[in-house]
This record gives sequence, structure tokens and C-alpha cells, in this order.
Amino acid sequence: MSNVISEANWKFHWRLTESAGIMIYLAEYRGRRVLWEASLPYVTVDHQRDALEVGSDGIDTRGPWWVPLGTRTLVGNVRVQPFRGGVELSADFTAGPYHYLQMWRFHDDGRLCPWLTIYGAGVHDQHTYHPHWRFDFDLDGAGHDALEAFADGRWQRVEEEGWFPHTGEADDNGFVWRQIDFGSGVAVNLRPHTWDDAELFAVRYHDGEWAPFSPRSTPGGASFPAAYVGREPLDDHDVAVWYVAHVHYDHSFPYTAGPWMKLDGFGR
Amino acid sequence: MVRKPAKPAPKPKTRAAATPPAAKASKPSKATPAKARPPQPPADVTASDPSLFAPLTPGEIADAIRTLTEDRRVAGMAKVGRYRVVATEPLVVKPPHWIHGHRLARVVVYDYAADRCVDACVDLDAGVVAHLDITKAQPMLSREEEAIATSIATLDDRVRDQLALGDAPLITMHYWGKDASDPAYARRSAAVLFGRHGGHPSLVAVVDLLDNQVTSVVPASQW
Repeated sequence: MSNVISEANWKFHWRLTESAGIMIYLAEYRGRRVLWEASLPYVTVDHQRDALEVGSDGIDTRGPWWVPLGTRTLVGNVRVQPFRGGVELSADFTAGPYHYLQMWRFHDDGRLCPWLTIYGAGVHDQHTYHPHWRFDFDLDGAGHDALEAFADGRWQRVEEEGWFPHTGEADDNGFVWRQIDFGSGVAVNLRPHTWDDAELFAVRYHDGEWAPFSPRSTPGGASFPAAYVGREPLDDHDVAVWYVAHVHYDHSFPYTAGPWMKLDGFGR
Repeated sequence: MVRKPAKPAPKPKTRAAATPPAAKASKPSKATPAKARPPQPPADVTASDPSLFAPLTPGEIADAIRTLTEDRRVAGMAKVGRYRVVATEPLVVKPPHWIHGHRLARVVVYDYAADRCVDACVDLDAGVVAHLDITKAQPMLSREEEAIATSIATLDDRVRDQLALGDAPLITMHYWGKDASDPAYARRSAAVLFGRHGGHPSLVAVVDLLDNQVTSVVPASQW
């Protein structure tokens, strides 16, 4: 199976990684560059106590755990399937009591859906999933980008790197964040899933700050991607964003997490 | 309850400069003086070569690991030989970086002797380590570490005493503690889940991979 797909106005490449699921790279829409690469570096799981024990201070002491989604947990093959108005890539991953379906859905109208369906009941009911996606958009090239967040009723330019949680506010189309290319005016808009309790980390792209092979940085230090967040300006630079969802398990699972994206300004 | 990480505090960044190694700093060839070269347009990400993203071949993986272990900066690690290769994957650097267009491999190693992570970018075209980060970060577990943790947990008496008929190791996860009271907070650790295939896990055993011993055995329902 070729790893280059040209369909539904998109042209993109893909490969299965060791730990970050299916990676998309060098993606173009209507012949113009959209993405350098994008992947799902990790899905961590942490647990909460169901009941307090006598003498307990009620604080959860156990940390998170995770297992890579990649070659070692893949079940079956990566699938490429056309659907009405688009094409999608999907793959199943299983790790003990955890089951995931990763998807990349490309629509011919410029929508892009990087999604993860979470199955499985874990070790007990009180647990939360934290899928982390990383998107390195290169809209019409790497530079001249900026990030905007919708707050206080309008789009506001983000001046420097940071953490931008979804507060519930969104524009009329439900978009909360957008990355814009100054040179051409094209943009990619991000709409979080209502129940993702999502947040966005935006960092300036630097060689050497590739997706780490674990969210765990130094003991006591911030985990990735927070550990990459400093105070560098974003305006007119190459920007990488991380979308992180926080999904608490409940009995209505499976649940599909992930943002809904829409390109703007790429022409008809 | 939905949990969020605390808002990260701004911090000064520290990153190793991806400077060219001495071996790359060769003089321009006299046969092709610089002034004779045709002008080159500035490199752009839109003209990147997709083949650079292709999976590494077994030979490229071997080449990358050899190149890293021969680098003098990790000579101690290679000499002691208590390390695990966690991942080897292709890496593509954007222009105008000087190694843009080169075939690169990212090699991540956990060095047990020094309790540290080695994250290297190996330039396979030039045969040099182009970028090296040595940190206290905890990369994912290698397949070998997963197998070792499973074996240690399976042989532990406290684990065996608590297993029910039909329980077997289901999966080994990379685990770390939330605070310093947990030995897994600062030590490389794995959590091995036991139970019946297709059923709920029944037991969790935490394995300290530095000392190769089980540090905690917890019924899964109480994790």
C-alpha cells in the first residue's frame, strides 16, 4: 500500500510510528502546504480513588501510565478508506484493557479530523484519558504564522508561547483557536469536542523540540508539552500546537476525542 | 473528576545547539570555488523530500546506533554497556537548518549506568551525531524493558501469592509516581497488569527497573 494519498483535494503522506500512532506529513490541500507533520505522541491514563480509606488524606498519589500506540500495539493493518466527500486513515491499537481507534479524516471541503475513539474499561472505572496530539502546521510555508484565541467575544492575537484552555467560549462556528499565515491570509481553525475539556499548548517551532518519546520530563518538572512552553514570541514565526483532551471514563464509552479543523482561504 | 495539569510556569529554555560537528567544517573544495556556484534559491519547507520521512531500514538503524555509541560524548555509556535503545525513527529537519535534506535518524537510549536519557539526532549522510540531548527525562519503555518487567513481576512471590487461577500478565505500562513519596517518582519504573485475557485486570505490580525488583503490589480495584 502506497503511503502517499491524493484524494478529495488533499495530498498527504503517512507512516506508522513507534509510539505516536499514525503520523501524517507533508500534507497539502488544493496544492498548497498545510502540515509539516502531525501525530498522536501519547495517550496517558491516570486514576482516581473510588472511596476514601481511613487515615487517607484523600489525595491521589499514583501517577499516570501509558503505553505507546505504534508498531507494538497495532492490531491488524492501517486502513485507507474513501467515504462520501473524503478519505480516512484508521488503525486499531490494543494494550491490555485499553483499546483505541485512531483516525485521520480528510474532507474535500477542507475539514480535517484527527480523532481517537477510546474503548475499554481500564483497571477500574475511576480513570481519565489524556490523548495528546501535536500539529506542526506550515500554512503556505513555515514562517509568518500567528495564533489567535477566541476570548471576550472576539479573536485575540496570542503574543507568546503558552497554555490556552477551552473556557467554553467560541465563535459562531464553534472555533476556539486558529493559526494564520500572514503572507497569504490562509488559516486553520480548531474546534474542540464539547466534552473533551480540551486545552491547547502553543510553542515556537525549534529543531530539537521534536515530540518527546514520553510526556515524562525530569522528576518534579513540568511534563511535555508544558515543559516546552517558555516566553518566546509567536507572532510571525513558525508555530507548533498541541491539543490535549481530558476524557473521564464512564459507562457510555466508547468516546471519540479530538478536534475538528477547517481550512480557510485555500480557494474553491 | 476531570484533571488538568497545572498551568506551566514560564521558564528559560535550555536546549543543546544543533551545531555542525568539527568533521563537517571542511574547507570549500578548490575545484569548485564558491564564486563559480550558481545562485541557490532559499530552501523552503514546501520543497521538502518526502523520502526523508520513510522508515529506517535495518541497516540505517544499525548505522545510527553504531554512530551514536562511537561518539565520544557518550563513550562512558557505551563502555559500561548498561543501556537500552528505546526508539530509532527517521527525523526530518526543516530548512534552513544546515542538516536539512540529510537522511537523519533519531535515536533515544536509556542509560542505566548514569540513570539518564540520551536523545540523539544522527546524520546518516555524514556519519556524525548532529544533535545530542542528555537529560533526566524518562522516555517510553523499550520492548526489552517491558519483557524484563513482566518477567520480574511474574516471578515475584508477593505477586504469585495474589494471582487467581488463570491470571496472566496482560500488559506492561510505563509508570511514574506523582510525588516523591512514591519510589517510582524518580526511578525508571513499569507497571505490570495481571488478569484474565478479555477480563478486568486483577493486580498491578510496580517494578523498579534500576534495581530489577517489585516495589509495590496492589489489587487493580484499589489502584
